[in-house]
Amino acid sequence: MVISPVHYIVAPLLAAFAIALLAKIYKNAARLVPGIVLFYNIIVSLVLMPQVLEKGMISEVIAGWKAPWGINLVLTPFSAFLATSVSVIGFAIWLYGYKFKVRLKGGEVKYYEILQMMMIAGSLGVIITGDLFNMFVFIEIVGITAYSLTAFYRGRDGAEASFKYLLIGSLASTFLLLGILIIYTQTGTLNMAQIAERMPMVPQTMKITALIFFLIALGIEAEMFPMNGWAPDAYSQAPSPTSAVFAAVVSVAGVYALIRVTFTLFDVEGIHQYLIVMGFVTMLVAEISAVAQANLKRMLAYSSLGQMGLVLIAFGIGSHLAVFGAIFLMLNHAVIKALLFMSGSYFIYNSEDKRLVGLNGIHKRLPFVSAIFSIAAFAIVGFPPFSGFWSKFYILIAAGDKNMIILIIGILMVTIIELVYYLRTVARIYFYKDEVEHTEHRPSINAIISMSFMTLFIIVIGVYPDLISGYLHQAADSLLDKANYIQHILK
Amino acid sequence: MLKKYIIFALIAVLGFYLASTFKAIPFGANRLGDLNNPETVSAFYLQKSPEDLHVANTITAIVVNFRGFDTLGEVTVLFLAVTGLMSILYRKEEEETEERLAIPSSSLVRTGAKILFPLILVLGIYVFVHGHLTPGGGFQGGAIIATGFLLMLITYKTFYTNHNVMTWLESIAGLGFVAAGLYGLIVYGSFLQNTAWTGNLNDLISGGLIPLIYIFIGIKVGTELTSVLDTLLNIKPRKK
Amino acid sequence: MMEFSEIFFKYKDLISIAVYGTAIMLIIIGLYGVLLKKHLVKIAIGLSIMDSGINLLFVAVGYIQNGTAPIFSPGHEGDVAKMVDPVPQALVLTAIVIGFAVTALALSLIIRLYKHHHTANIDQINSLKW
Repeated sequence: MVISPVHYIVAPLLAAFAIALLAKIYKNAARLVPGIVLFYNIIVSLVLMPQVLEKGMISEVIAGWKAPWGINLVLTPFSAFLATSVSVIGFAIWLYGYKFKVRLKGGEVKYYEILQMMMIAGSLGVIITGDLFNMFVFIEIVGITAYSLTAFYRGRDGAEASFKYLLIGSLASTFLLLGILIIYTQTGTLNMAQIAERMPMVPQTMKITALIFFLIALGIEAEMFPMNGWAPDAYSQAPSPTSAVFAAVVSVAGVYALIRVTFTLFDVEGIHQYLIVMGFVTMLVAEISAVAQANLKRMLAYSSLGQMGLVLIAFGIGSHLAVFGAIFLMLNHAVIKALLFMSGSYFIYNSEDKRLVGLNGIHKRLPFVSAIFSIAAFAIVGFPPFSGFWSKFYILIAAGDKNMIILIIGILMVTIIELVYYLRTVARIYFYKDEVEHTEHRPSINAIISMSFMTLFIIVIGVYPDLISGYLHQAADSLLDKANYIQHILK
Repeated sequence: MLKKYIIFALIAVLGFYLASTFKAIPFGANRLGDLNNPETVSAFYLQKSPEDLHVANTITAIVVNFRGFDTLGEVTVLFLAVTGLMSILYRKEEEETEERLAIPSSSLVRTGAKILFPLILVLGIYVFVHGHLTPGGGFQGGAIIATGFLLMLITYKTFYTNHNVMTWLESIAGLGFVAAGLYGLIVYGSFLQNTAWTGNLNDLISGGLIPLIYIFIGIKVGTELTSVLDTLLNIKPRKK
Repeated sequence: MMEFSEIFFKYKDLISIAVYGTAIMLIIIGLYGVLLKKHLVKIAIGLSIMDSGINLLFVAVGYIQNGTAPIFSPGHEGDVAKMVDPVPQALVLTAIVIGFAVTALALSLIIRLYKHHHTANIDQINSLKW
């Protein structure tokens, strides 16, 4: 069987349905199978990535009906790049959480593993689908799993955070359906390429109405201000590997959906300015809130929102270099924020204190994890030897090219705010004295492997950004070349 | 108080906005375009469903074949909702099970339920087996089956569904759906592609894999809805 | 005795207001329930009402004047020209199932919240900031 994009979805689905049966035969199946599936997804990425770069784009038809009639899956260099990073990070998070879930009992492990795997698979689906309604279905898969996982722990306020998330998520799906309905009545199709092709014929009022519904709905998924209140609660109440998945996978899929819809489907003037303004407000509000947080995971969550704001700004600038920087930042954010949640959760596990106070002097107990956390913290702020520097650098240069001086000053100011709270956190780890008694929980070997691998990635890409910049340039080109997207799918 | 007025204003704006938008989409107008030379997906489906797939019910053809990938996702959503429900309401096994909250039903209801239960099941199975010919299909049939189980669950305090059987049925139905899709991928090179043989229009055995997939969906939806009802009904009352 | 088509033609505006109006009113009522009601179960009911509104809107948009169901049952094989748009009906099926899944999850979360806080009033459940 030739490997094709549909394997991204079919393998997890097959596993999800089979796990219940396999778990009856072999007890550890529930824990192992998702790892195998996620690893298989990496293989699929590695096979497909060169093909995408060679041919420019792969589109696969489902059920044998070619592009505008049936559902199709599209791998452009942009989506292939995101799909690859999502599968790699998904596997790394699984590896990190492998031992972690030993503490859970019997049935719970099964539920947890299925939900987490399907959350990653759903995000992959959002990224690779070429059909508007299919995207809605995958967004709902991500949503349902996210609500369930947020409420996973009994002892926390998970149910409350989850209910809040569910309410906002249902509003998002309502608006998304309204947007899809309006688009469907005007174009008579659901295929994204054909919608894009017919968009110039749609009356302006309809276009703007539909766009507003899409912006509200996908803005919620992409954690855009003002509908991102769910995110810090969900991030902080979910189990730690799930927080990492939220930050590294779900937010990437949300931003992808928003960008695909606004860039490819609609041709409305002023959308770029809107993205810049909303992105900036998101970033500013989130980073200022992050300074005020006393809870480590909430702080990381707000920082995550801030990064997403910066991504939106970069997409809003819209030049090739800015989009390049934005995709680079999406990758960096996914890796680094996942790493921060991974190492941060070991601090919480050890000090049994979710507040920042629990971090005081923890480096004596967890030297390795502390080092990784510090590297990740410096990387996300954008210190030169790490990969985070390059993405911010390119975005600033792109803003400079367009003479957006105020924006540059704004981004730099926000970076200083970011620096303040990350330095404060790192200072707590290394220079504060701890007064509380700690329980000893050393990181397990699989977590160490996973975290070292990601740290290595940050450093290597920081030193040799050219290693991936070729792919990124192609990805940026493919996103901006709308005519090619339409023509390739409908040919 | 102010918040309330702001929300009222927002809702009013949304309502006005929706009303003015849909005023411009005339009700009852034909938007399908030319049926013989299709430009919209609907026209294409109306043309191809009887011609190529030999499926009388166009909606079934769309749900199972043309947009079958959506349906696979949809079945997954339901499956994940059951999984999530169980993880949210998970009970440790050592806790003893109590009788669920139910008012004892009269013998009239009990006898009636016993008579109705098999009939409801048969109706449900009829609906999903004939999904490609008549209105209805896997989702509707599954929902009907679940109402049968609901009737039993609220009538008899001691009626419990066998979780083992449920898990097996659900998993096998799900795997069957994916396997039917993989058959298309391996044989014809496109996931969920229908078989070349599709029979005659309006025959019970026609449409290739479509009725088979709809039967899988029916079983899966039936068992999943039943597990949702079962899980929600078996919540223990709060200890005083 | 007037044919249905004549009635439809005569009162076209009224019917369109009735159908679209009902759907939009349902969405708005649902939204009102979600945003302003204090009881958790009422919020969940609001979600369901909102979903119903959307579903009704979908089916209404697919309706074609004098249309029949898009089913080629024996004796109706040639009725293609009279059939209503099948796609919104297929999409609604998906939307209904997803709405059901979300409602089921919402109810289970309400059960958890009620057990934890011994109340279903949203104002008294505020461990996190709302």
